[in-house]
Amino acid sequence: MTNSTRIRRLFETPILLVALMGLVALIAVFGDPTITRVTVQALIAVVFVAGLSLFSGNSGVMSFGHVGFMAIGAYTTAYLTIPVNLKSSMFSDLPESLGFLATIHAPFPIAVLVGGLAAAVLALVTAPIMARLGGLQAGIATLALLVIVFTVLNSWTDVTRGSSSMIGLPKSTTIWWAAGIAALVIVIAWAYKKSRSGLQLQASREDYLAATASGIAVGRHRVFAWVLSSIPVGFAGALYAGFFTTFNSQTFFLSLTFSFIVMIVLGGYLSLSGAVIGALGVSVLQEILRRFQDGAFTGGISLPAGIADLILAAVLLFVLVKAPLGLMGTRELRLFRKRSIGSAS
Amino acid sequence: MTTTTEVPQVETLQLVDGGMNFDGVQALEDVSISVKSGEVVGLIGPNGSGKTTTLNLVSGMLHPTTGRVMLGDKDLTRMSMRKRARIGIVRTFQSVRVFGRLTVAENIEVAALGCGMRRHEARELTEELLEELNLESVANTAAESSPAGLIRTIGIARALATRPKFLLLDEPAAGQNESEAVELIEAIRNISRRRACGVLLVEHDMSVVMSTCDRLHVLDSGRTVIAGLPQDIRHDPQVVEIYFGKRH
Ligand SMILES: Nc1ncnc2c1ncn2[C@@H]1O[C@H](COP(=O)(O)OP(=O)(O)O)[C@@H](O)[C@H]1O
Ligand SMILES: [Mg+2]
Repeated sequence: MTNSTRIRRLFETPILLVALMGLVALIAVFGDPTITRVTVQALIAVVFVAGLSLFSGNSGVMSFGHVGFMAIGAYTTAYLTIPVNLKSSMFSDLPESLGFLATIHAPFPIAVLVGGLAAAVLALVTAPIMARLGGLQAGIATLALLVIVFTVLNSWTDVTRGSSSMIGLPKSTTIWWAAGIAALVIVIAWAYKKSRSGLQLQASREDYLAATASGIAVGRHRVFAWVLSSIPVGFAGALYAGFFTTFNSQTFFLSLTFSFIVMIVLGGYLSLSGAVIGALGVSVLQEILRRFQDGAFTGGISLPAGIADLILAAVLLFVLVKAPLGLMGTRELRLFRKRSIGSAS
Repeated sequence: MTTTTEVPQVETLQLVDGGMNFDGVQALEDVSISVKSGEVVGLIGPNGSGKTTTLNLVSGMLHPTTGRVMLGDKDLTRMSMRKRARIGIVRTFQSVRVFGRLTVAENIEVAALGCGMRRHEARELTEELLEELNLESVANTAAESSPAGLIRTIGIARALATRPKFLLLDEPAAGQNESEAVELIEAIRNISRRRACGVLLVEHDMSVVMSTCDRLHVLDSGRTVIAGLPQDIRHDPQVVEIYFGKRH
């Protein structure tokens, strides 16, 4: 491969994906409030799924626990952005050691950043487990992580309000925040995929034993990707909190996890483009299904609740059977398809 | 040549009295085998005689139940396969185990990275190896979709990318006819000579290793039958019986 081809191939995909984010944001700018809402939600999904794909796409280990990182980002943002006077009445029973939480305050951009870092702290604590386990065991461990985070958020009501909602967050997530962070996360995920660590992790995904025999420290790279991927997912939680301004412990659990899994599987978990396209596509599909369920296309007769989720689950099953690697497989979005492949023949 | 030319240090990799017991099955017993830098040693024997097990012990994929693995006077017996790879003892697999969905070039580059090379160094070495092993035409295709005949070459290229001091090859010529096999092993020979790298080569076909290896080691039922120079082994009555006798 010549150098210029290599460089073109290196920048083509992220440029296209970032441009796609800009395009999506423009749709929202010129659309009505509903379109804006759907678009912001879709962009938050892109942030989450691109972050998840940084870990799962390169390591081949599917994580069902990333919504736990998202929860950390959201709760951190709540504590940092809810006005201090409101907070002191909301959390009158804070344990003494956490008393400082009632008085801290930060502007939204700082809250997003701290949300990402707080998620990374949880990732770091759980990293030794991810380094040791592979395949199915690792997948189950991530599910256990989700359950642990949920249980703590649900039970530690003095601090989290449990299933009572967090309220009073200022509405901070604009379309530009969502699109900007989506673009940033895409660039980070791509840079990791092309990095020396990313390539070594992909090798371990393809064949663990052969990777070890080539001197690759699989555990080390897996830990790095695990921690790195938790940061954007924490951002996604912060954006979610700053957009919906209210949530509770139930928000970040199985149903949200299922949505994100559908997105990454439909798009193709081995491809960053697949993850991004899956996030956008499924967000739109979910909105259409929701309206369908509410009777928008059936003359106002609303259908039984849950029909939207059933259809989504059916679509997932269909894709798992027909195209286990999703829409994109291992391909990435490119302008010039296959130009350099086989060029030497 | 003047005296300033640095002579590469000759090292010896040894399995000393190696034994391997799998839950009561003695797959290998008291096998001692050594390889020196620059030398090609053929390890032969019928199916199930313990060739892969020997390679597993030397590469660190398995740890012997008895005996030791030595590099010079350094004891490697408990060292992991990964660490051995990083100090230059690298193996291939009988089933190759390519990184299927990575490109052929990435398969090679990633092994160089795995052994600590810098990115540009790894890329340069990859270009060299692609050229040396005639893999340029498939460089940017997924390894799993390369023609079957090239898969084994990819495995060898990947091992060479770690700049090995000792290369342990498990049936690199499997599935090829005799002349192809001889050609491949000759190529491996040249490569190892140029790099002053020792090669332990497992092969089940006696005639292939006769013309290509410096020394031979014959196994049967987990024990050494005979070890020595090819010409001495060709006519050994035991070898003729257990080896040629069974196959023809
Ligand atoms: N992991 C293992 N567990 C149990 N038995 C094994 C294992 N590996 C090899 N063996 C046994 O050890 C013997 C030698 O096998 P192997 O080294 O693969 O032979 P070769 O490579 O010469 O065909 C065989 O009887 C095989 O069944
Ligand atoms: Mg074998």
